[in-house]
Amino acid sequence: MFIGAIGCEPLQLRRVNLENSRSIETYRKNGGYEALRKVLDRMSPDVVIGEVKKSALRGRGGAGFPTGMKWGFVPKDSPKPKYVVCNADESEPGTFKDRYLMERDPHMLIEGMLIAAYALGSKATYIYTRGEYRYLIEIMDRAIEEARAAGLAGDKILGTEFSCEIYTHTGAGAYICGEETALLNSLEGLRGHPRMKPPFPAVAGLYGCPTVVNNVETLTAVPDIIKMGGEAWQKLGTEKSGGTKVWSVSGHVNRPGVYELPMGYEDMEKFIMEDCGGIPNGRQLKAVIPGGSSVYIMPASDIVGKKVKMDYEGLVAAGSMVGSGGFIVMDDTVDIFESTKNLTEFYKHESCGWCTPCREGTDWLVKVFKRIARGEGRPDDAQLLLDIVDNIEGKSFCPLGDAASWPIQSAIKKFPEDFKRHLLPLTNGKESGKEGLPTI
Amino acid sequence: MPAELIKVTINGQEFETDKGARLIDVCREKGFAIPSFCYYADLALQASCRMCLVRIEKMPKLQTSCTITCTDGMIVTTESEEIEKAQRGMVEFLLANHPLDCPVCDRGGECELQEMVFDWGGLEERFTEKKNYAPEKFLSPIVANDPQRCILCKRCTRVCDEWMGEDAIEAGGRGSHTVIGTYGGWLNCSQCGNCIEVCPTGTLLDATYRHQTRPWELSRTISTCTFCSDGCQLSVGSRGGEVMRVVARDRYVNGLNGEFLCIKGRFAHPFVNHEERLRTPLIRYKKGGKLIPATWDEAIRYTAAKLRAVLDAHGGESVGVVGSPRLTNEANYALLKFAREVVGTNNYTATEAFSLVPFFENLGAPLATHKDIRHAKTILLIGGEPEELQPLTGRQIRQAVRNGGAKLVIINSVPIRLKHAASQFIQIRPGTEDAAVLALASKDDAGVAARKLNVEAGALEQVRQHLNDAQGDVIVMFGGELGAEAQSLLAQLSFTFGEKEGRRFLLHPLPLFNNSLGVHDLGLMGGALNPLEILDAAGAQLRAMYVAGSFLRTHLEGREDALSKLDFLVVQELFQTATTEHADVVFPAASFAEVDGTYTNNDGFVQRVRQSIPPIHQSKPDWMITAMLADALGTDFGFQMSSSAVFLELAKQIPAYEGLRYPLLKDESNPVQARHALVGQRDVSAQLVELRSLVEGIEETGETTTQTPPVGHELFKLGTLTSKVPQFHLLAAGNPEPESVLISPLYQITIDPALRDEAAVAGD
Repeated sequence: MFIGAIGCEPLQLRRVNLENSRSIETYRKNGGYEALRKVLDRMSPDVVIGEVKKSALRGRGGAGFPTGMKWGFVPKDSPKPKYVVCNADESEPGTFKDRYLMERDPHMLIEGMLIAAYALGSKATYIYTRGEYRYLIEIMDRAIEEARAAGLAGDKILGTEFSCEIYTHTGAGAYICGEETALLNSLEGLRGHPRMKPPFPAVAGLYGCPTVVNNVETLTAVPDIIKMGGEAWQKLGTEKSGGTKVWSVSGHVNRPGVYELPMGYEDMEKFIMEDCGGIPNGRQLKAVIPGGSSVYIMPASDIVGKKVKMDYEGLVAAGSMVGSGGFIVMDDTVDIFESTKNLTEFYKHESCGWCTPCREGTDWLVKVFKRIARGEGRPDDAQLLLDIVDNIEGKSFCPLGDAASWPIQSAIKKFPEDFKRHLLPLTNGKESGKEGLPTI
Repeated sequence: MPAELIKVTINGQEFETDKGARLIDVCREKGFAIPSFCYYADLALQASCRMCLVRIEKMPKLQTSCTITCTDGMIVTTESEEIEKAQRGMVEFLLANHPLDCPVCDRGGECELQEMVFDWGGLEERFTEKKNYAPEKFLSPIVANDPQRCILCKRCTRVCDEWMGEDAIEAGGRGSHTVIGTYGGWLNCSQCGNCIEVCPTGTLLDATYRHQTRPWELSRTISTCTFCSDGCQLSVGSRGGEVMRVVARDRYVNGLNGEFLCIKGRFAHPFVNHEERLRTPLIRYKKGGKLIPATWDEAIRYTAAKLRAVLDAHGGESVGVVGSPRLTNEANYALLKFAREVVGTNNYTATEAFSLVPFFENLGAPLATHKDIRHAKTILLIGGEPEELQPLTGRQIRQAVRNGGAKLVIINSVPIRLKHAASQFIQIRPGTEDAAVLALASKDDAGVAARKLNVEAGALEQVRQHLNDAQGDVIVMFGGELGAEAQSLLAQLSFTFGEKEGRRFLLHPLPLFNNSLGVHDLGLMGGALNPLEILDAAGAQLRAMYVAGSFLRTHLEGREDALSKLDFLVVQELFQTATTEHADVVFPAASFAEVDGTYTNNDGFVQRVRQSIPPIHQSKPDWMITAMLADALGTDFGFQMSSSAVFLELAKQIPAYEGLRYPLLKDESNPVQARHALVGQRDVSAQLVELRSLVEGIEETGETTTQTPPVGHELFKLGTLTSKVPQFHLLAAGNPEPESVLISPLYQITIDPALRDEAAVAGD
């Protein structure tokens, strides 16, 4: 498995391949905690937020919301305590970057969180990992202890007036707890379901206090932004998508792994065929899900020869999204009907049950998919699937409903043949001739 | 502060509305129907059913109108093809795994989901897959659950949490496997049944009524609850002379309690048609003999003759007349009239647990209504346990704290459940509630009071400070622990603290019975003797007694033989009790479901009791029995067999009820408060001196308990009425979990009949 940077100096992945990369010594030897020192010595919280704004850093969890702006929403004059929460509930299918960042370079996350806490005036921060990442809690706890022993966490960090605690917490294994408000509920010990927005967490989050919830990769980008300066960091990427992005590449490529690319990397086809070593066994590329399972699937025809730019704008233009950067490559052995069925079962399993469309809709979708897979597909089932999806999309309480809808919409639209094959029923040995698909 | 008016456009029409008003409420108020399941006024927003979707200009997606507050210039569309498609889509989703078993569902005919489908019509079922299955089961002796019908609106879990503060039911599982369940599989709560009431579908069901009848077969009568002093309005559903159920569903009744009722109001009604109801008048011809059935004529004649004999031999003062705070104002008025005009005695009283006469004599501030409590800013509760004894008041307090941010101060000798809502809880030594009032009324006595209360003086000072600094409504509530002097001082508390801009003192006594206030208003509690004294006088000064209802267990303790010393005892009752044991004549009285009349609740609201079924067997309304007896003794009461005539006369005689008529009381959503005379500032220094010496005499002993009393320790207590309901026996026995939750626990757990016999005579 490959872990490293392509097309740029490794920033996020600078230390991951070093020996003993988890230890504070390795981290410090390689520029660690310099940014924190700089912030505490010379920068006011507003200046820190200003640098993050300049960096055009966008949230790496999936929604891509500008991080500086999110930090700016936290009311400065609020008498309530403020919290920074790291969202390490990395549950998007196909995404495993945060895991490696935490596993191999935990101190980078700690430094990022401390800088964020300083910028937002927070005295307590939380790392919330998914239930399956329990082992990472041990790694993080050890790193936090190391940091505390070195005077980098807890009371009077680096001898300054700034004090901040870092706590770790694991979920019980629910995809929905990656949604920031559901995460906060879970962190508070409540049922993991999303909260109503507004109020947004920046105003009333954890325990009703102003809270910023950031993805691991977002926070680990912060030390470099501080060290390099926001503008310089932004210039690594494009104007609206600054810096570098870590992609988790899986599926039918010769060299899957964790890749750090500059934002705006020029060609997705080149990335797959050259950087990732191409498709194994001489097979053809069929489809790519570029940003974790919740984004639109891209057929090879939208990639090959199209010079798809790998950043927020480029992927939207190409008909998909960056999402969480979970880059899934599929060759021509894949039946898109089956892969979509698999994904839909995931969403059904992970629907929290709060709102009607997502709870009942995903249940229904899976039942239809299973029926089709049993060979009982009816000619109008594709239309039925699209109708159900249409009644979920945009009407659910949180984005999970949308996330469940988009893969199905795009799969039926982009790969009608894969569905048709399952739907056309045989009558007397002859195909019924009735078209099972809407005209697209 | 009046809200700012803004303009919103709904479906092309412009309306003015308050800024910040909830869009769904505004649309509905203006006549645009918006479907919803999970939205419920004054509960936390849920926004999960996704039915109330509307289009708001400049917003990217359809929005749930329950979560949107109106802003100026908002342009809203509530009816369009897009919206209807979305809403139909939601109903289709809700029906997907729904069993569609309306023909056998208890909620069929009054189900919100069913109505939604019927309203729209033309719903095609495209869901042809296998439905998820979950068996129907019992959650408690009172709550049954059919999870398949659930649409997960979570009204039930929210009322459980927000109204009751119990959090006994919660959703379990996730996704399409989410079910409403309990912690540990069996529902251990106060069994109020509010979850059943607010359920829009047939998911949570009244296990006592299940499969008994269909809702459209019931005739419904709006009436007033006959248990505690909160006076909840309810709808009695009856069929063929039988009370089948009691609900507070807002489509049938809209009283001060909304859809709230407690276990007693909702589930204790089976006493009405119970087989042990007295069927005919009974006469005990010989002391120590048996009660023998008689005709009304004979019983009335016999009683009149016996009373006449006592009157002739010993005079009017030898006869005691005892009313009951359980009975209507009409019944008690007739008794009072009987005592004054027929017998000519001052020896009358009512079987009330405690007297509020000193309180009303010094009433310096108006009585608080339940609505006032909900919107109060400060609530002081001295003694009492409203969540068990006046559950509606308990809910209003919780809502005031939770939704209104009210400060709740509790002074109690027991850590009652409500303390979790309190911003200050002061636990005092048992029996020292009077000292707490002394500390509030007189700053100089705070030291000695604190010593007697066994609390720090600072805590009481803090309460005084709270009351002094308070803005908005300050509601002072108290239970039955207070003595006469303390009651007087509390009634005058507003003058102790003096006038202050923006602060209003309101008083809220917490008597125990449905018409406790009524017997005080009528003056029945102002007789020469109190219930204990009247029992002590039996056989001495008193030779005969006429009792409507029964003495309480607490009255008869240590006085078990008192009634047997009488020459003649007449009782009118529903059941055999400890009081009828000594009776020479027993008249079968009609229960609240069989009579017309009024009760006065602890707000001072005079509310109607309406006849929903004809009197059972040969029973008659209490006032009628009294009038018949008076007639036989030569006095025509002129009631012409009509309770409205009784009330008319009552309203002429009783100043607080002046001008009231039945037609003025007909709207339960707009109750009429009796005009209790406010006496203004009184000189209460004598009471203060008396209270001071009382407090100084309190012994500084007594164990305080740290144990919060279990849920239902008062609610589930078996009394004359509740002991007639088998479910109450299970609850009183600790609500044991049966072996199988698929079968009613009544068939699995044996009820000890001795318990009922013991409770039946209690009289409470």
